[in-house]
Amino acid sequence: MRKVFLPHTPEELWEVLRAEPQAAVYAGGTDLLVKLRQCLVDPSCLVCLERIEELKGVQEFGHEVFIGACSTHAYLLANPIIRSNFPVLTRALELLGSPPIRNMGTIGGNICTASPAADSLPPLYVLEAEVEIRSKNTSRRMALKEFIQGPGKTSLQPGEIVSGIWVKKTPGYNLHHFEKVGQRKALAISIASLAGLLRASEKGVIEEARFAWGSVGPTIITSPEVEKALVGNRLSRPILEKAACLARSAVDPIDDIRASGEYRRLVSGNLMVRLLTLQREVCH
Amino acid sequence: MMTVKSDIFRIGRPVPRVDALSKVTGQEKYAADYYSPNFVWAGVKRAGVPHARLKSIAVEAARKLPGVLSVLTHKDVPGSNRQGIIFKDQPVLVDTKIRHCGDAIALVLAEDKPTLNKALHLINFDYEPLPAIFDPVKALEERAPLVHEDNPDGNLLQHISVKVGDVKEAFLECTTIIEGSFEVPFQEHAYLETEAGWAYLAEDGRLVIVASTQTPFRDRFEIASALGLNIDKIRVIAPYLGGAFGGKDGLTVQSLLGLAALNSQGRPVKMWWDREESFLAGVKRLPARMYYRLGAKADGTLHALDCRLYFDTGPYAHLSSEIMALAMEHAGGPYRIPHTSIKGWCAYTNNPPGGPFRGFGVPQVTAAMEQMIDMLAAKLKMDPLEIRRQNVVRQGDRNCVGVTLVNSTGALDCLETLAAHPFWQERKKWKESAGPFKRRGVGLACMAHGSGYGPVIPDEANAKIELTDEGKMRIFCGVSDMGQGNASTCLQIAGDILGQDADSMELILPDTDRSLPSGSASASRCTYTYGNALIRAAQAFKQRLFERASTLLMIPTSDDLSPIPGGIRHLPSGKEISLSQLAQLMDPPERTCTHYYRAPVAQEKLELYSSSKVFGLPHILFSYAAHLTYLEVDELTGEIEIKTYLSVSDCGRVINPQIYEQQIQGGIAQGLGYALSEDFIVKEGKGLTSNLSTYIIPTTLDVPEMVSIPVEIDEPTGPFGLKGIGEISINGPLPAVANALADACGIRVSRSPFTPERVLGAMKEKALHEVKP
Amino acid sequence: MKISFTLNGKANQIDVPSDRRVIDILREDLNLTGTKEGCSGGECGACTILVDGESRLACLMLAAQLEGRSVTTIEGIASEDRLHPLQEAFVEHGAVQCGFCIPGMVLSAVDLLQRNPNPTRMEIRQGLSGNLCRCTGYQKIVDAVKAAALKMK
Repeated sequence: MRKVFLPHTPEELWEVLRAEPQAAVYAGGTDLLVKLRQCLVDPSCLVCLERIEELKGVQEFGHEVFIGACSTHAYLLANPIIRSNFPVLTRALELLGSPPIRNMGTIGGNICTASPAADSLPPLYVLEAEVEIRSKNTSRRMALKEFIQGPGKTSLQPGEIVSGIWVKKTPGYNLHHFEKVGQRKALAISIASLAGLLRASEKGVIEEARFAWGSVGPTIITSPEVEKALVGNRLSRPILEKAACLARSAVDPIDDIRASGEYRRLVSGNLMVRLLTLQREVCH
Repeated sequence: MMTVKSDIFRIGRPVPRVDALSKVTGQEKYAADYYSPNFVWAGVKRAGVPHARLKSIAVEAARKLPGVLSVLTHKDVPGSNRQGIIFKDQPVLVDTKIRHCGDAIALVLAEDKPTLNKALHLINFDYEPLPAIFDPVKALEERAPLVHEDNPDGNLLQHISVKVGDVKEAFLECTTIIEGSFEVPFQEHAYLETEAGWAYLAEDGRLVIVASTQTPFRDRFEIASALGLNIDKIRVIAPYLGGAFGGKDGLTVQSLLGLAALNSQGRPVKMWWDREESFLAGVKRLPARMYYRLGAKADGTLHALDCRLYFDTGPYAHLSSEIMALAMEHAGGPYRIPHTSIKGWCAYTNNPPGGPFRGFGVPQVTAAMEQMIDMLAAKLKMDPLEIRRQNVVRQGDRNCVGVTLVNSTGALDCLETLAAHPFWQERKKWKESAGPFKRRGVGLACMAHGSGYGPVIPDEANAKIELTDEGKMRIFCGVSDMGQGNASTCLQIAGDILGQDADSMELILPDTDRSLPSGSASASRCTYTYGNALIRAAQAFKQRLFERASTLLMIPTSDDLSPIPGGIRHLPSGKEISLSQLAQLMDPPERTCTHYYRAPVAQEKLELYSSSKVFGLPHILFSYAAHLTYLEVDELTGEIEIKTYLSVSDCGRVINPQIYEQQIQGGIAQGLGYALSEDFIVKEGKGLTSNLSTYIIPTTLDVPEMVSIPVEIDEPTGPFGLKGIGEISINGPLPAVANALADACGIRVSRSPFTPERVLGAMKEKALHEVKP
Repeated sequence: MKISFTLNGKANQIDVPSDRRVIDILREDLNLTGTKEGCSGGECGACTILVDGESRLACLMLAAQLEGRSVTTIEGIASEDRLHPLQEAFVEHGAVQCGFCIPGMVLSAVDLLQRNPNPTRMEIRQGLSGNLCRCTGYQKIVDAVKAAALKMK
């Protein structure tokens, strides 16, 4: 039997974490409680963050948006600020888990679990998100891509939580893309995913591009080479095939129960070719 | 005779199922829903290794744990400690040898689940690992490790060889010959309610078991011999099951529960396998490797078929020989083939246990044969519908094992109905409008499904109806309702004949103390066999009630009597008597009516050789269907999306259109899972896909809108003209999808399911071959 | 731990270990076996309940989290004298076969119709995509939810 704490304020939270340094912290529980049942973790007690209002919600600060870590995926999907500013994130969250999982799971939880297959991560990477990390006495910001260090590993220290995510709006980008490949159309852990943010000129020439691949490496993969290959060009089949090759070199997938590394590598490139369908959007 | 029938229970009407209400309110109690103030949890320590000699079991640490009532091993099993349906080859608790990872080593009784789990962790056992065998073909080789050392045939459970005509000669007469090999995997039932039950010793010392079981009557025999009990001392009750599909045909929790109840100091015992245990210990669809050679004349007439089928039964015989037999009978599909040689081998391995799963061998061979037909059509440049139309069986033809099809045979009608459907007519237009990176194809499958048990095991039922003192018609359903709605159909049949409605009827679910032996809920025979018994019982009962009523109403004959809800009325005079009045004036023995029915069996002798006695073929009654699917495949990822699915089925007359559609739709969904995503991965005897997070069954977004059309050809031997419907539709999706994939992009994937990875791999290989000069 | 919450409209107080799963509290402590368990890991939706009106999985929720919440189980959505329109529709349209997935399915449908009172068939499928059914192939479930939505307008 493990005690479950339910702090209502950050102050109560810090007090519990101080008293119970071996506690496992969760918000929705969709990852931790599954791991607990499989005896993959053995914390001394549990701390649930779901009642701490300060950790929830979406706020606009000019060109930045702050997303409370304990905002559920369902909440974010219904939030007009998220929907209008971050279509890439919205699309990924729509495909994450299932409706009840989205009612329970939080974006902070998705980040801190740091699964290479986490659906929110590729969009947050292309959005160049930063996590806000708080402890009793400190508060710091850190690039998400530095925060996540490996599969299931983050740079959270004892006594710290992720309190929220800072995301910059991307007004210049006019092409938003997200695709997830899974074994079925819902309740699916991603086998490969691609988030893309592009800016195309009126004539359809790519001026800027950001990409992030999920489930094809120990953490989310990004590739300046792929991005460079598109800049200055239209989205044509030859260009995208070239980018696809570069993508296949950039990723580092493993074999697992869901798919082989070879398939993942092949598809990581193929997902670039899909961008050809965006060509229609830019052609006038 | 004029009858005033109740509006509700009429044959042919889509009467809502009577069990729907209690299920939709959460009131219905499944076997998993039993609790009581002082109950005890029972759980099993499982082997976790595929093949080993058991040396000793260390239970002391577990026994000492506070909250543990007892820890039992084979030493505590009073009877033979062997269970099984045909062969009693499975231990309740392992005594000498572990044969698969899910074998039961010890049984723990504990106060609560955490204690139970802790105790299970504390049990250790000493074993000597043995070389194991995981390939059913290699298992038949000379030096293969033996799963059952006392089996004179080594690892062979059964070999059957059937032939018709002279296939060697016949191939020489063929202008076109096609060869193909196909591999199909395990399939997990994944019923929402896992194996569950509840047991206690009644005051009179009898063992009462409530279990999620398709076979309450037969279970008693297995439990009795395994635990050394007198069969009269065992009562088995089968509430509505939360799904079964064959996985609860035979013992799952029952003997373990019985053993627990004998050792629980009078307290009721609950066992409920969690999902991982269900995956580990439950039976699965037998995987198969199938090698086909099909020959035809220039005009597309099928002429010769040679096939070799290898099935993997895992550690125990279960019903695998019967599964293989049924598969063999369907290996040639619903076609006229004058010369055939069909050989099957069923081998023991240390893989997970094989057992019944909806379709019972027919999905496996239909997957192969229906692809062969399409491959042949392609080679002959014939339309795939045309070649089927030309060769499909009609009543009076013989099937591929030489049995004459004496009963209704609507295969051609199914094909013709499909051919006339807009989906078939408009397929070219649909295919041509694929979007970017998508390719579209359509695929057909035509299939048969034989119902019943074959000629040896009697397919029989005993219906029972009682007029209660309150004047209610109490129908004793003899066959478990696992969701297929047969209990409800019983009421509909009896209600139609007895002229009663829901208010004046009661339903008793199978209970070995109250209902009469009526066979298993399997083999698409539930409504056919029990329904035939029930019709006879209801008709006889009605006759008897009318005769008594005419006496009591003082009218000379029962000719102008008519049933009305809750009573019987003499129409000319208006005199009536309520059923409750009638009941009061009848002696109790008169108020119960029973009737026996045994389904007819095939009389013909086949040219058959087998290594041991064959129970499972031939059959005499077949349902038929033709399926069409619209498929779209993504060239970049290999993902397949099924856009539309059409099924046309000949299952005789339709008693309840709603239940009919329920069965067809459900079978198609399971078939699509089998085709596309349900990859049960086993490595060295261990199931790597160990629960629903890695074993992928279809969600709402993975099953398309389905159209189901019945071709209602009356089957005179069937209750109200009906034939079996439970299984036929699961046979079609895999081959229909395979054929549609071939149509879309010219590839065939020999090993299913057709996951995106396999599909993309096949597309890539094809592209490579096309590039090479 | 003493926990106070509202269950099917009535105030409730229980005293259980704070890490006891809500599904065990409902089924074993409170005798409400309508909420089913199918996978214990959030993969099947059989244990779906409503918490403050939103669908959640009772197998992944712990006792402590009940404090102050309003919980609705399948036993609580019918009124005194009438079934919920969704329940009626499920019965009428043949959406119930073995029935084990149904309580969770119905509650997910309640959540769906609250968010989207006039869903298309595809939106219904998306809304129920976290509830596995092995018997029906889902079609009649979609029919039922569509019909109920029309009735509830």
